[in-house]
Amino acid sequence: MALRSRRRQATTALLPVLLTGALALAACSSGGSSGTTAQSGASKTLVIDTSFDLKTADPGRTYEPTGLIVGKATYDTLLTFEGADVTKPVPALAESYELSSDGTTLTLKLRQGATFADGSPVTADDVLFSLTRVRDMKGTPSFLLDGVDVAKTDDSTITLTSKTPNPALPYILPNPALGILNSKVAKEHGATADPNDKAEQYLNSASAGSGPYTIESFNVSSQVVLKANAKYWGAKKPTYDKVVIRNVESATQKLNVQRGDSQVALNLSGDQVTGMTGGLQVKRTTSAYVFFLLANQDTGVSKVTSNPKFVEALRKGIDYAGLLELAGEGSTQAAGIIPSMFLGALPADQATTRDVEGAKAALAESGVTDPTVKLEYPSELTVNGLSFQPLAERIQANLKEVGITVEITPAPVTTALDNYRNGKEELGLWYWGPDFPDPSNYLSFLPGKLVGLRAGWKAGSDKELESAGDKAAAAVTDDARKQAYTDVQTKLNASGPFIPLIQPGQNIVTAGSVTGLEYHPVWTINVADLGAK
Amino acid sequence: MSPTSAPSKDQDGGAALPSQNRRGRAAGRRPFVRFLVRRIVTALLLALGITLVTFILTNLVPGDPAAANLGQRAIGDPAIVAQWRADHGLDKPLPQQYLIHLSGVLHGDFGQSQQSHRPVADDLAEFVPATLELAGAAILISLVLGVAFGVVAALRRDRLSDHILRVTSLFGISVPTFWLALVAFYVFFYRLQITPGSGRIDPGMTAPPHVTGLYTIDAALSGQWDVFASAAAHLITPALVLALYTIGLLTRFTRSAVLEVLGQDYVRAARAKGLPARVILFRYVLRSALVPVITVAGLAFGSLLSGTVLVEAIFAWPGIGQYAYKSATSLDLPAVMGVGLVVGVVYLVINLIVDVLYGVIDPRVRIS
Repeated sequence: MALRSRRRQATTALLPVLLTGALALAACSSGGSSGTTAQSGASKTLVIDTSFDLKTADPGRTYEPTGLIVGKATYDTLLTFEGADVTKPVPALAESYELSSDGTTLTLKLRQGATFADGSPVTADDVLFSLTRVRDMKGTPSFLLDGVDVAKTDDSTITLTSKTPNPALPYILPNPALGILNSKVAKEHGATADPNDKAEQYLNSASAGSGPYTIESFNVSSQVVLKANAKYWGAKKPTYDKVVIRNVESATQKLNVQRGDSQVALNLSGDQVTGMTGGLQVKRTTSAYVFFLLANQDTGVSKVTSNPKFVEALRKGIDYAGLLELAGEGSTQAAGIIPSMFLGALPADQATTRDVEGAKAALAESGVTDPTVKLEYPSELTVNGLSFQPLAERIQANLKEVGITVEITPAPVTTALDNYRNGKEELGLWYWGPDFPDPSNYLSFLPGKLVGLRAGWKAGSDKELESAGDKAAAAVTDDARKQAYTDVQTKLNASGPFIPLIQPGQNIVTAGSVTGLEYHPVWTINVADLGAK
Repeated sequence: MSPTSAPSKDQDGGAALPSQNRRGRAAGRRPFVRFLVRRIVTALLLALGITLVTFILTNLVPGDPAAANLGQRAIGDPAIVAQWRADHGLDKPLPQQYLIHLSGVLHGDFGQSQQSHRPVADDLAEFVPATLELAGAAILISLVLGVAFGVVAALRRDRLSDHILRVTSLFGISVPTFWLALVAFYVFFYRLQITPGSGRIDPGMTAPPHVTGLYTIDAALSGQWDVFASAAAHLITPALVLALYTIGLLTRFTRSAVLEVLGQDYVRAARAKGLPARVILFRYVLRSALVPVITVAGLAFGSLLSGTVLVEAIFAWPGIGQYAYKSATSLDLPAVMGVGLVVGVVYLVINLIVDVLYGVIDPRVRIS
């Protein structure tokens, strides 16, 4: 009796278990089939997985990698770049441009017939309003047009004037932050060309551009859905009806793309893409991010790192080839501070090589004995799957051989940034991503400039280098600029407080069916370039 | 804290429970109301305390929100930094910032998020339902499976099924959630291909019309059964992963609680009276055994919420876990405070429910 009743109790208790199990199975099987039908339906959907760095879809405030992908797809700019080539700006909403011989005036002829997604034409007034708005709104990308005067000469001509020569302007204009808004729509929703602008909330819910896609839904931490602009004015119509950009962590990205749940995975590290099979395409390119070491020149911060011979010991003591091994396939050594694909980059053969004996000699000459220095870096930040930790540890080991003790002090990025930006780090390991693909962006590394000051390098510290910098800033023709920037970097490598280390690789994995993918240093990928086999 | 193992004190034998039950209900109608009011008032005071603590803690964090949110270039321009600080109210003294924050919270305004540039309340309204759906499904699964497994293990003590369940529950308790999430994703999604991928529904689908914010319920309400199937399928793996720890915990607690009650005289008496096994199990055994189990379940809900941060990251589930992580890394103070407050309030509500449930299950609690 007792036995039997117990068994019955057990069966009763198991009932809910069985029910839950059945429900789970039902859900699983139905999910499996619905997952595949979504892909093979009549409308073409492209799913892109990336780790979000996204704050807004308002082009005038966009400055983050994911935001630039969205901006590039939804807004057209006056000029753009073809594929991955960033050495030559090509027409977009402007059909031609001309830079005056003194480099201060850029005249752009607008294309006729370009229309916004609502069908209204793109006019010179839209251009004037959009550019002035970015500049005067004091948002993150405002500096792109600092000191640039925007004027409408006639209905099809826009003139941009700067006080000093600004040959970088044609390279800045393709930045998606300078996308042209439908000014009528934007103004209706609170857009003004001053800090009181209120249009962002609207622009986060719907796009007001002339690009090949429009925003269907936008969420900064989960996903962005784009839909094809049926009235796109350009010759090349968007291939996909719908593009879903999802926030997915990189381990999951890999499984998603392998299983076919997504078609593009943007943030896989070199290790993750090795041995990828199943008809997937792996695009390995060198990214435009430059990792560098900074040695503070402010004697108040460090008596050791401000010693030029000590910096020489650092430069010669680091094993660059070893760092490249850590960074994995696709990465290259940074010869200078300007990335390899930009105009004015130093040729690879001018890169520093390791010389332990030379480093020891320099250290002896410096007069510093048994130095101990602190190396600060952001602990949780990864750049294309590469984290700072192993690089810092390798540098620590390299310098130990030379006789320099390095204390590595990681901190969360928000904390580490404080010390870095205030110029308080003794040694710092950081990276620089280009604001625009022009060498003038890297003049920030000179004494008294943005990054120079972060290394405690005050204006007037290196007269010769500073005058070389001024010369580079004033050069207008491509040849003169190339020469001037090479010169700046050679001098910077010889006596500056920055030691360029590596450019990590950028690995993008796509499904076999996706065509036309190119890695772009500014907007990572142009969704509109993606086609289907 | 209320007593956790009421049955052990119950030495009067089988008849004691029903009679005490009646007595407690007759004498305790008013005290129960008073008890409830007292609990709610305490909860409100605690909620106020939570706003203060979250405010102070988030403002104590080293690091400059402006530096975290503005680009490399913009940070160099004092005009942009000043503009940004003014936009986010950071130019005012701290006590004033707190009062502004508090009066905002009382009006349902949590300030504006620095990362999404939307009101934090809107963000929370969007992300909290996703997490509630996940955590709710997980707690439901854990309660059903955990209690059932515990009862089975107790009833079949020292037999094979008991051993299997005990080992399994030990596994559930000791395996780290993020590892399990990755493995589950790899095995079920990638290898076996029986579950769908990341997110709440298939990427090609549109979310069901917003009613509760829980996709499964909204889809069912609007009769979109394909969306429902997709939402349920997307929900099941993360919910199971999240539930595994709680299942293990509840199995063990239920098992020991049931075993303890099974040895009581009143259960023996009930059995001797010849009552049906089902009546003994549900009326006599489970009712007493559930008191400690409910305490544990309430606490476990808290660990479920913290577990969602990792599970949400791996399954790309757009809930508050991901939102909180992103807000914390970009020093988005209003968002961090909003999340802190919501999680704190959820805890309070769960504790309140647990306390009230004690009263329902164990009448003696109402008097104390």
